[in-house]
Amino acid sequence: MADFNFKVSLFGFMDMLKFKKIVPLRREKLAGGENTPLTGTFPINKMAEYLHPKHQTLTVKEIRDYPGAGAKGYVLEGESLAPFRAGQYLPVELEIGGSVLHRAYTLCSDPADAAKGRYELGIKRTEDGFASAWILDNWKPGDQITVAGPEGQCYYEPLRDEAYVVGIAGGSGITPLLSMARAIAAGTEDFDLTILYGCRREEQIMFREELEAAAAATERVKVVYILSDEERPGYEHGFITAALIEKYAPKASYSVFMCGPEAMYRFVGGECEKLGLDKKHVRCEAVPAPASPEGLRGYTGDVSGEYTLTLRLPGEERRVPMKGGESVLAAIERAGIRANTKCRAGECGFCRAKLLSGEYFAPEAFDHRRAADAAHGYIHPCSTYPLSDMTLLLWAE
Amino acid sequence: MTAKYDAVVIGAGNGGLTAAATLAKAGKKVLVLEQHNTPGGFASSFVRGRFEFEPSLHELCDFGTEEHPGDVRRLFDELGVKLDWCPVPDAFRTILINDPDVKDYTMPFGTKAFVDKMEEYVPGSRPSMEKFISLCEDLDRATAYMSAASGNVDPKVMQREHANFLKCAPYPVSVVLDALKMPKAAQKILGSYWCYIGVDLERLSFFFYAIMVYKYLIGGACVPAQRSHSISVALTDRILELGGEIWCSTKAEKILMKDGRPYAVRTAKGDIETRHVICCCSPHAVFGDMMDAADVPEVQRRDTNAREFGMRGFVAYVGLNRSPEELGLKDYSYFIYNSMDTADECRRVGAFETNDVQATICLNIANPHCSPAGTTTMSFTTFFNSDVWDSVKPEDYVKTKRAVAAHMFEVFAEQTGVDIRPYIEEIEIATPATLARYTLNPKGVMYAYAGNEWDSLLARLMMLSEDVKVPGIRFAGAYGPRFYGFSSTYVCGELIGKLTMADMKEDK
Repeated sequence: MADFNFKVSLFGFMDMLKFKKIVPLRREKLAGGENTPLTGTFPINKMAEYLHPKHQTLTVKEIRDYPGAGAKGYVLEGESLAPFRAGQYLPVELEIGGSVLHRAYTLCSDPADAAKGRYELGIKRTEDGFASAWILDNWKPGDQITVAGPEGQCYYEPLRDEAYVVGIAGGSGITPLLSMARAIAAGTEDFDLTILYGCRREEQIMFREELEAAAAATERVKVVYILSDEERPGYEHGFITAALIEKYAPKASYSVFMCGPEAMYRFVGGECEKLGLDKKHVRCEAVPAPASPEGLRGYTGDVSGEYTLTLRLPGEERRVPMKGGESVLAAIERAGIRANTKCRAGECGFCRAKLLSGEYFAPEAFDHRRAADAAHGYIHPCSTYPLSDMTLLLWAE
Repeated sequence: MTAKYDAVVIGAGNGGLTAAATLAKAGKKVLVLEQHNTPGGFASSFVRGRFEFEPSLHELCDFGTEEHPGDVRRLFDELGVKLDWCPVPDAFRTILINDPDVKDYTMPFGTKAFVDKMEEYVPGSRPSMEKFISLCEDLDRATAYMSAASGNVDPKVMQREHANFLKCAPYPVSVVLDALKMPKAAQKILGSYWCYIGVDLERLSFFFYAIMVYKYLIGGACVPAQRSHSISVALTDRILELGGEIWCSTKAEKILMKDGRPYAVRTAKGDIETRHVICCCSPHAVFGDMMDAADVPEVQRRDTNAREFGMRGFVAYVGLNRSPEELGLKDYSYFIYNSMDTADECRRVGAFETNDVQATICLNIANPHCSPAGTTTMSFTTFFNSDVWDSVKPEDYVKTKRAVAAHMFEVFAEQTGVDIRPYIEEIEIATPATLARYTLNPKGVMYAYAGNEWDSLLARLMMLSEDVKVPGIRFAGAYGPRFYGFSSTYVCGELIGKLTMADMKEDK
């Protein structure tokens, strides 16, 4: 109080009485509440659960074979399915032997079909794709599968993207663009889309009928096939170059959406740069981190290394074997532990774990960690490869 | 039954983490349960493309400087939480779309600079502004006394030494500013921060508002260099170092009660034995969804039903492919309102059509390295005080959130002359449903229970003890006694951690 020599006279002695009433007034208000049941779950909370369910159960309804592409299309049905935006993926959970695997497959159906209880996936047998091979060999009509809610940012957003989109697909990367084409045909999306679909040979084209149905339904969707390994009339031949993009792109500004293997992103990305397209105008669907770190830029580890991964899980500790030639997530999943993973591309951060000891390699192309996480030793196991024994604090489900 | 803990904290939000750190530092065995996969609650971040966005923190108040530390700096120092901070340059810029008295003004931090600037905008405001500052000093001293007395406030001391506090504390902002004979235009400028509390100035406690403004003016504000996620990471790491445990992706499903107090918390990973539960989540969820109705006393049910939910949050985040200089952005914080008739503003934020409120941040102004060179990150925040989002059908959800965001960008362009729309490289839009998804807050509120005139900060603090109606259950964070906002919830966590230790001692 010593330095206090300024007084403000504001109110009279009535204020003191009012002050004394603060507590009785609140007491009275609180006591006057209803004696009805309580809940913290309101309509908007239910909406959040509906939009982003932790799990959904689907039944395999129909399977379409694309033998030339080494792929199959799956129609899946379920009740009150979460809506999605064309271009998003579905995290699929697989239990194979004692392992729990998660894979992200892009939805290729019209988003409006979700409200009718229907999703569609296109899955291609990939070289290191243990899971995709298992699905192609095992899923049959009537099977029940578990998926999470739709995720991913490879969707069209008019506040960000140009009204004209050039969609560039390689192989099974056609799925998000098919979903967009169907959404435009159905009137649920409002943009023009020209798809440049690159395959090696004609027989490898997936979803041709469905793509052409969408293109027939609306003038806003066009499909151009580009074959790299054969020349056929009615098809473009070669790679998807700047000249080819320019040939089909509009004069006005446009956005490019790329969906395919990483090698295609590198090549077509370079072509886009030649066209003066900046980051805003080129969007890529997330690519899964490779199964093995071998050949990744900056990798100096030993893929034949045999390590021990110690996992501090809620309430327990486990030690599991881990190989130098696989991601940390692969070791976790082989042990049957659910690590919350969704994208497998280092992007979504759901599998985030804290490194307590050990050395690792996080390839730059798949390192989308938050700055503070990278600085404080948090990793995304799906895109991290071991260089030694490791101990992780993992918040598994 | 798995292990036994001295305390279990439900929710790893700001209050939960500081409560846990406080307990762990005192050697208590503590476990934090968090339903989401990452600790932090609102204090987090997310990456889109080459941008890492700040989801919620606009400016951390009450941090102060090394010479004059605020409560939060002192708390973080005591807990051993170390971070890099960036000072926020100016207090705020406020633009009123349709106000007859004032239009566009930028106010600095520092009491003298603030009063001088006010005199410039509103000639003749100086005497009332000086009285206001002096009154704030009184309130600050009274608060310090009350905090030190921790519940044992001597009414004689209050009447003798803190009379001004007793006189103005029961009144709302507008009444006290009128009594200070502050010109209307100056009141409007001074009231700009109202949206940080989300209660109109005719219902908002003067005491609470004045203390907040005062802390901003004397201590300035800052933001962490690596988004508020870095605060959560630092607190998490510290809790672990101190021997505490955190289980994410683990929802507290049920609080098991015996003889009127908790004995365990049920999770999918087993029942966790404890006699003390600190909830950093809503009483609605705790007493409604986590406890058997028979275990909830009637008085608690009435108490919880009487509370009024605060504002539901909405934020549009954009990463822009131009620098702030190229865009012409000079200010860090923009409050845009239709007018400073805040009661009318509160009516207008009840509906999509009339909501023009935005609190917009250009993070690069305070933290130039928060995004790559040649880019800018911004967040456009508004709120809703009604259940208007309930009426949105799932098929219209994306369209609706896009329209709300687009309207904010348009208003911002009209009012500041800076049109960001051609430069959007990344965008993410969070609605009340998004906040509900990540934080499980009822109705997607960002401001917990509204701090209206009867449920004010002062009233809550004065009823600190009697608000515990179920022994062994206390609330930290935004639903706790210290209100919402970053600094309040951190300080609240410490308070609740200490009170819980006192409970343990007395076996309450």
